[in-house]
Amino acid sequence: MSVALDRQIRPIYDALDTGSHKSAITECNKVLKKHPKNALVKALKALALVRYQKVEEALVLCDEVLESKPTDDSTLNAMMHVLRGLGRHKDMITMYDAAYKKQPTNEELGAQTFFANVRASNWKSAQQVASKMYKQFQEDRYLYWNVMSNVLQANDNNTPVEMRTLLYKLALRLITSAPTPSSVHSDRFYLHLTVLRELSEYDEAMTLLETPAGRNICETNLACNEIRRDLMRSRGALEEEGKRAEQRILEKGDRNWLEFLSVIDGTFASLPESKGEAHAGPSEDAKEQCSSKISNTLALFTNISVQDGRKDRSGLLGLLELEHRARRHGVSTDTVRLLHLLKRYFETFGDKACCFEDLKPYLGLEGNDLAAWTEVLQACPSSLSTVEAVQRTINSHKLSRYNLSASELTVDAETSRAALYISQYLEGLPLGRNFPTTELQYVDDLAILAGSVFVNLWKMGGDIKYLYKAVVLLEFALSKSEQAFQIRLMLIRIYRLLGAPSVALEHYRLLRIKQVQNDTLSHFILSRCSTFSLAASGDLTLTSECLESSQIYVSNSQETNDYVIRAFSAEKYSQIPQFILFEDWLENSLQRDITKLEYLRMRITHEVISSDIIDLELIELKFVFDRLHHDNRDFEILPNYQPKSVEDFNTQTLLFGKSEGHGWVWSFLKSYIKVFSQASDLSDVVEEKLLVGDRPQISPKLGSLKERLARREKEEMAELTPDELSLISYTDALTEWLEPFHDYVRPPASVVLADVAKNTELKTGLPLRGVDITPPLNGHVKKEEETPPITDAPEDLIKFFENMKIRFEAAKNAGHLNEALHIATIAQEAFLLFVTETIRFKPASVVKIHKLGNLVAKFKPIRAVGIAVLKEMTIALESMSTQEGTSERRREFVDACGFESSEIDHDSIMNIIKRIGK
Amino acid sequence: MSVIRSFKASDMFKFNNVNLDIWTETYNIGFYLHYLSRWPDLCCVQEAPSGRMMGYVIGKAEGQGSEWHGHVTAITVAPEYRRLSLARKMMSLLELVSDETYRGFFVDLYVRCNNFVAIDMYEGMGYSVYRRVREYYGNLGVGKGGRDEEDAFDMRKPLSRDSARRSVRSNGRDIVVSAHDVS
Repeated sequence: MSVALDRQIRPIYDALDTGSHKSAITECNKVLKKHPKNALVKALKALALVRYQKVEEALVLCDEVLESKPTDDSTLNAMMHVLRGLGRHKDMITMYDAAYKKQPTNEELGAQTFFANVRASNWKSAQQVASKMYKQFQEDRYLYWNVMSNVLQANDNNTPVEMRTLLYKLALRLITSAPTPSSVHSDRFYLHLTVLRELSEYDEAMTLLETPAGRNICETNLACNEIRRDLMRSRGALEEEGKRAEQRILEKGDRNWLEFLSVIDGTFASLPESKGEAHAGPSEDAKEQCSSKISNTLALFTNISVQDGRKDRSGLLGLLELEHRARRHGVSTDTVRLLHLLKRYFETFGDKACCFEDLKPYLGLEGNDLAAWTEVLQACPSSLSTVEAVQRTINSHKLSRYNLSASELTVDAETSRAALYISQYLEGLPLGRNFPTTELQYVDDLAILAGSVFVNLWKMGGDIKYLYKAVVLLEFALSKSEQAFQIRLMLIRIYRLLGAPSVALEHYRLLRIKQVQNDTLSHFILSRCSTFSLAASGDLTLTSECLESSQIYVSNSQETNDYVIRAFSAEKYSQIPQFILFEDWLENSLQRDITKLEYLRMRITHEVISSDIIDLELIELKFVFDRLHHDNRDFEILPNYQPKSVEDFNTQTLLFGKSEGHGWVWSFLKSYIKVFSQASDLSDVVEEKLLVGDRPQISPKLGSLKERLARREKEEMAELTPDELSLISYTDALTEWLEPFHDYVRPPASVVLADVAKNTELKTGLPLRGVDITPPLNGHVKKEEETPPITDAPEDLIKFFENMKIRFEAAKNAGHLNEALHIATIAQEAFLLFVTETIRFKPASVVKIHKLGNLVAKFKPIRAVGIAVLKEMTIALESMSTQEGTSERRREFVDACGFESSEIDHDSIMNIIKRIGK
Repeated sequence: MSVIRSFKASDMFKFNNVNLDIWTETYNIGFYLHYLSRWPDLCCVQEAPSGRMMGYVIGKAEGQGSEWHGHVTAITVAPEYRRLSLARKMMSLLELVSDETYRGFFVDLYVRCNNFVAIDMYEGMGYSVYRRVREYYGNLGVGKGGRDEEDAFDMRKPLSRDSARRSVRSNGRDIVVSAHDVS
């Protein structure tokens, strides 16, 4: 490139770097005037256009550059960004392939070709490129790139099972052909072990692990040590592993719990893990052999527990796990040991916050054991004078609450428990009197316990006053301990139950949810959020919350792949499958599409329903429908101190008592896709032509779209509320009724495409690529067949709005505000879907040409009832909300709370109710 | 006591109980993947027997010549698991790997000058202040820590390769540098 040209190109890069896409385009145009054929400038202009959202124009330039088959770094690099922006990974591969073929000795080009294949998960070609590179450049790393590609291909869902072993064998052959042993590099060693494990070549793996280099790696590399442990387990060498672990514990003072588990696994190695009841039970010999080993382990752990004292929990916890397993295998000899150990554990570590969680797996006590254990806990002096005493009191409450039986969970008993926790909370609060606002209070868990009791009381009898009590108490506790996120999360749940979504949102925002947490935690606020949406009247708070929380998925698809490439460059093979898994879980996140659906349900309430919305959403929904979802939602984060005999706190506080899962998503997707694809002119043929970028890989197991849409599975429907269920049958009836008429009226693909081509040309001045259709002469194609016979609307459809009205009245009269709101929202949604379904039949000309007058006449009464019912609901909801906001209701609320403590004053309660009223 | 294992990319779905704490930052995806794609053996997790995450450490190896060392970028323990010596165990693992795998001369870390608890703890583990870095941290806007809140101590502990203990000095607290001077 000439120096002069170089000087002219610099400003283009600068503009791109600073995000001034428009001026980048202007700069490009300047240079292109003098050098109209310059591929680099064209590529840069295409990049600027893509970033400037001018996709159609970018496509034209992009194709021109691709045709010129560029080989220079800068052009390729610019094109890589263009193609990534357009989602055209396959074209990227073709481009680099061609370039690398022209310059087979260019190592950088080889690597880029390999990476292009990696980006597209094109493992087979990646493998071929790596193999070629290894031959050409003789670098070990390329051999391992090849190995890794084989492994990834074997792991790919679309690879047939019988191919997998073959691929692993190939990988192993490659590794063994390498001039240097894998153990020179811990990640190569890791990969080697993975391959051996998959092929069940345990002896060979052991030989590797026993070499000094192998031992060294496992000593310092946790990932390799993990796979080593796994290999030992797979080959059934539990005893040997147990001995090794014992040695580590004794000689190196290792207190990794995994080592303790290995010792325990080794102890019971002679007894088969009992599965089901049909098990014959171990032989007497095996039992005896095991018993002697148990006493050895018992001695070992006892010594450690004595030696470590309060310094480390492993010894004592190991003893508990040992006894627990012995009982499970029926080889326990000491009937009181478990109880003694629990007692000792509580005495030793009762002042640690994790005590309850540590002991939880061992609390399955019954009869006398349970009585004795409860006595131990009750004997715990409930002193609140020191931090340790507070923690011990909290643990004793958590532990005894866990084992409460149904008969101990009466309203009276629970009420007095709440009173006790609250009084202790207030008593212990001064311990953290002078804390800065960043500190957590020692007594927080007492408030959490009391809040849990109130929620349980609400669940028992449905009396809403208990939720008010919970709110007041938890708000108070939060004001003393601003960073107590668990309290905040509980409040979010309760506020939503009370129909106070804006207060819930306020708390949610204070959690400062960021990045990937948007995926795992947004369910707290976005689950069924369309119920609370005010989008219809212009308040877009929740819709924008959906958009914001969905940003993380964009970052994931743009960035995560880069790190797979980086891991290849840095030869961190242990990370590559993990990164791919992470990307996949986030890309196909269940919450992502729950949010997507909620967004759509809110969107149609405030935007004019037009073919633009319908077409775009339809394409997206069909993409979503092909995903195999992964549930990343974090429910564990909610504290749960409910007795094991009742539902956990999470289940208790789910909105409408139902959690949306895969079934919920499928159900709504099917309904919306059915309605939108009928309302849309986009057929598969049109979509195929118009879509930019690669399509997602679809598992052939899924079946055709039509079949899948028609199927309604019982398990899917089980995740719906009764009203959501009516909506689903309503849409099914609606779409079934109108399908023949849509199919009759919808213009053929050629007409639609010609239309799009015309519009594109008007917009960009260039013809639409890949579409070569001469439009039919007069726009309308004469229908050959007759109008389908006009049928009456199905019963489900006619009765729907009336039924919803009845349900609404019932909910209203019972004072169930949230439910009434839910019913009204569903009714509104049903109406909007009806509108969407009937847009096509609106123009008088369409009705006339297709002789659909009789059909359209049948819409009218349905519409009229829908509108009337919705109006009534609106009025009723409005009056309900004014009633809730009156000072009288506030008074009632304060009385209901019945807090007469001097600490929680009247004013703060009043503030809380005012916020709920909003 | 806990399970010690390597940090995995999918741990980002599990670390809420650690990261919702005010002292722990949740970075973008790229931050974690960057560390994992370079120094996976310097990133580890501690997990309770129940599978709940207790804390994690993220580190790297960097520096030229005799400055080649292991660096603790982030170390954190969830509130309910504090005072169980978890941080100590993660630090010794990071020291082991920095020493044996990376052959670094020392391990270093940054800590707010007003975080006395942490400073005491690190001193107990053999770390000492090498220098004070001015305005290393942004203001949290919570305390009245003034300069001590924004300044950081760069604390170091020599590893076996630095037998002459050249990477530490006794008057570190008096040596002040600006944030631009450190990497």
